[in-house]
Amino acid sequence: MAAIALDKIDRKFGTVHAVRDVSLEIRDGEFFTLLGPSGCGKTTLMRMVAGFCELDSGSIRFGARRIDALPPHRRNTGMVFQSYAIFPNLSVAGNVAYGLRARGVASTERNERVRKALRLVHLDGYEDRWPHQLSGGQLQRVALARCLVIEPEVLLLDEPLSNLDAKLRVEMRYEIRQLQQKLGLTAIYVTHDQEEALAISERIAVMRAGRLEQVGTPWEVYNQPANPFVADFMGVTNLLPGVVVSARGGRIEVKIGEALFAARAETGAAGDKVTLLIRPESLLLLPAQHGPPPNFASFEAIVARIEYLGVLTRLDLDLGGVTVRVAVLDKAPDHAVPGGRVSVGYDPARAILFPAS
Amino acid sequence: MTMLRPQSVFPLAITALGLGLLGLFFVYPLFTVFKVSFIDAQAHITLANYAKILSKGFYQQAFINSFAIGIASTIGTTLLGVPLAYCVARLPVPGKSAVLVLIALPLVLPSFIAAYALVLLLGRSGVMTVWLQAQGIPFRSIYGMPGLVAVYMLTLYPYVVLPTLAAFKAVDASMEEAGQNLGASRWRVFWTVVLPIVAPSVMSGALLVLIESLENFGVAFVLAEDRPILSIEVYRLFAGEVGSNPASAGVLGVSLILCTTSVLLLQRRYLSKRRFATSTRAAPPIHKVGSALNLLATVFVWGTVLVALVPFFAVLVISFLEFRGPVMHGNFSVANFQDLWNRSSRPLFNTVFLASAASLVAALVGVPIGYVVTRFRSRLSHLLDMTAMMPFAVSGTVLGIGLVVAFNAGWLILTGGWLILVIAYCVRKLPFNVRASSAILHQIDPSLEEASINLGFSPVATFFRLTVPLMLGGVVGGMVLTWVTLAAELSSTVVLYSGSWSTMTTVIFQALEGTGAGIASAASAVLILTTALPLLMVYRLLRKHQLAVL
Ligand SMILES: Nc1ncnc2c1ncn2[C@@H]1O[C@H](COP(=O)(O)OP(=O)(O)OP(=O)(O)O)[C@@H](O)[C@H]1O
Ligand SMILES: [Mg+2]
Repeated sequence: MAAIALDKIDRKFGTVHAVRDVSLEIRDGEFFTLLGPSGCGKTTLMRMVAGFCELDSGSIRFGARRIDALPPHRRNTGMVFQSYAIFPNLSVAGNVAYGLRARGVASTERNERVRKALRLVHLDGYEDRWPHQLSGGQLQRVALARCLVIEPEVLLLDEPLSNLDAKLRVEMRYEIRQLQQKLGLTAIYVTHDQEEALAISERIAVMRAGRLEQVGTPWEVYNQPANPFVADFMGVTNLLPGVVVSARGGRIEVKIGEALFAARAETGAAGDKVTLLIRPESLLLLPAQHGPPPNFASFEAIVARIEYLGVLTRLDLDLGGVTVRVAVLDKAPDHAVPGGRVSVGYDPARAILFPAS
Repeated sequence: MTMLRPQSVFPLAITALGLGLLGLFFVYPLFTVFKVSFIDAQAHITLANYAKILSKGFYQQAFINSFAIGIASTIGTTLLGVPLAYCVARLPVPGKSAVLVLIALPLVLPSFIAAYALVLLLGRSGVMTVWLQAQGIPFRSIYGMPGLVAVYMLTLYPYVVLPTLAAFKAVDASMEEAGQNLGASRWRVFWTVVLPIVAPSVMSGALLVLIESLENFGVAFVLAEDRPILSIEVYRLFAGEVGSNPASAGVLGVSLILCTTSVLLLQRRYLSKRRFATSTRAAPPIHKVGSALNLLATVFVWGTVLVALVPFFAVLVISFLEFRGPVMHGNFSVANFQDLWNRSSRPLFNTVFLASAASLVAALVGVPIGYVVTRFRSRLSHLLDMTAMMPFAVSGTVLGIGLVVAFNAGWLILTGGWLILVIAYCVRKLPFNVRASSAILHQIDPSLEEASINLGFSPVATFFRLTVPLMLGGVVGGMVLTWVTLAAELSSTVVLYSGSWSTMTTVIFQALEGTGAGIASAASAVLILTTALPLLMVYRLLRKHQLAVL
């Protein structure tokens, strides 16, 4: 149970710069997620905390204690592996007791703690089972119990759910979060699934090519992405190329295709090339012959394509060369037909501008 | 994932120890052979030895013979092995699991006994020869090139079949389907898609055959008669009746090693190129073929597998026949075994003792080396890996000569006892032990070890607490395979044994040189049984750990 401070961490593998100049503060008891595409350095960063990967430069502290020179077996972290890494030659109880043996815990106390840990992950009564008799979800629970029982300072989870099926994944991530909160553990969680990250994290760090792109709460990284990469990675979105036509008092007008968009931004001048971000669900298809609600802006476009997806319907609208995507709950209104013209309203506060890359 | 950090002395210690042992008992002895080949009687550096030996027609002929036999055996084995592997992998041949067991057997059964069996059957006065001649077929004998190539093909074909079989099985079905889908005929797909994928495996297997047939001593000794063969001339020059000539033996030995080592380096290249689609989703289907073709395939596969084992059965049967001198008679008796036993039971004891001691030590040295080269990749561990593989390319006679020259005087004297035999055996079997333990480790998820370290056991404690127990079954299986092949080790033994330390193989060897055919066959039978029984006992273990014999 400790705060974790990473300071200016750097690591190269040959020519691959796996982690570049990463600095992070993770609070005591926080559930912190590293999110990013494959190969961005999430695993490397986590393994550095565990001690399985050396730093080229930088430092890692647990609380006030610097630990980056400590060998991995003396760091007191609990790591849950993607492949579970359950010892096949030991029973469930043997697996859970393993770390206690390493710490020389006497056998009566050991048995008691193993029993408690198994109860915590709802595996009471499984003590004498063998790993090959367990399902994937149960193995993952054994892996969790094995970490929790040693009362680690930090819980490290590297894509612990990626080998489970979709339904179990949702259940387990809830259980993991509950346990972490109950025990007040500091946890670092690695995933490349943005939904999973949003669902369980207190804060998320989005990584790209070894660098931190943004650190923030789930709401922040989703709604106020720091750059188009984060926006794109956090889910389906509109990143529309345009040119600023006017900028007055924090309100900026941008021409995108043939439409004019409004956005709030502090900087920007006429003629600037920009990328405008607006999420499909922030766009509102206006009923025929209706203006936008108060404080909303609007634009007109031609419907190019309609996809019915069950929970929602997705429309691709053509702005004259640029496609904008709109999501509506349930089905599209009757007047929206391919080739037809529709009006779309939106809150300019939801439109974010980035300088064009 | 690299775990090599400055404070982990464990891999460094193993690497240092491994390189030290190999340096002392492998590199240094070979270096002494190298040295004596460049030194004249006055201890001056000279090329005269080379000029003298290599200008003699007799030794030139030895080179020609060795390479002709090696290349012919390699081509023959490949032509036999690739279709066989294809039939087993892709055609509905009955009894496949039995075939898979039987295919691997020739690799661990003593090949010079197969050669000897062939002599008993098809030699000048062999059973089959006599019969053939009675039928009016003008067959003389099996000696020479045809016999050598035949025995190498029958005893070495698993080197090609086993990797090729694995490669055929690993070709993703969708790749073939894609080929056919693009309009290629099945035949064309085979040539343009499948064969290129398996080619590196075939090549790496074939090159092992080339090495083995170049360096083999026992088979050549039995079947070459007076034809010059490199591996035998090395021995004759060193231990010949006309007096030992280490310098000349060194010249031939160095030449032989240079050839086999370069082949081994080539083989390593092919091995590293061996890449299948690692994400094989669908195993390739078993083809449906007409019953005639299937019958043909069945006869071919089972025929080859059984013919390769016939010599061993023949020896078992013949050992119970009565001999008068070299001539066989039809009556069954146990006289041969009585003769063998009455002479001395010591060689059997020696064989068991030496093989047991050496397989234990080879595992103790080889397993940690295999662990380090598999789990801690670094430049140093790569060097260790390469060095530990090299003994495979060095013929036992040359290694033996090296050990004698290096350790018969000076600060460390080992000649004349059992220890030097154990050392030679360990060095000979180190490549297998390293490869086997590395194969076992590849089946153990490295994150298990990381989990153990993460839970608080140091890397050393993790190795002994977790890795060793997980590897144990495979290691025991590997030790039995080592034991079995060492019990039949001839080439280094004939150079190194002395006095009371003769083994079953040297008994056979002496009996072959003399006229003790009866004793030779009895000793061969005993040797076959001593090797086959342990194999049967650990068969399940070997299957479970998928222990490659290669
Ligand atoms: N031991 C290593 N040797 C060489 N390169 C490595 C090593 N470990 C990681 N890399 C490289 O560093 C980069 C980051 O790897 P890392 O495993 O941290 O990615 P990741 O974000 O966990 O990806 P994934 O989501 O696929 O697990 C990759 O380009 C990878 O190839
Ligand atoms: Mg990863």
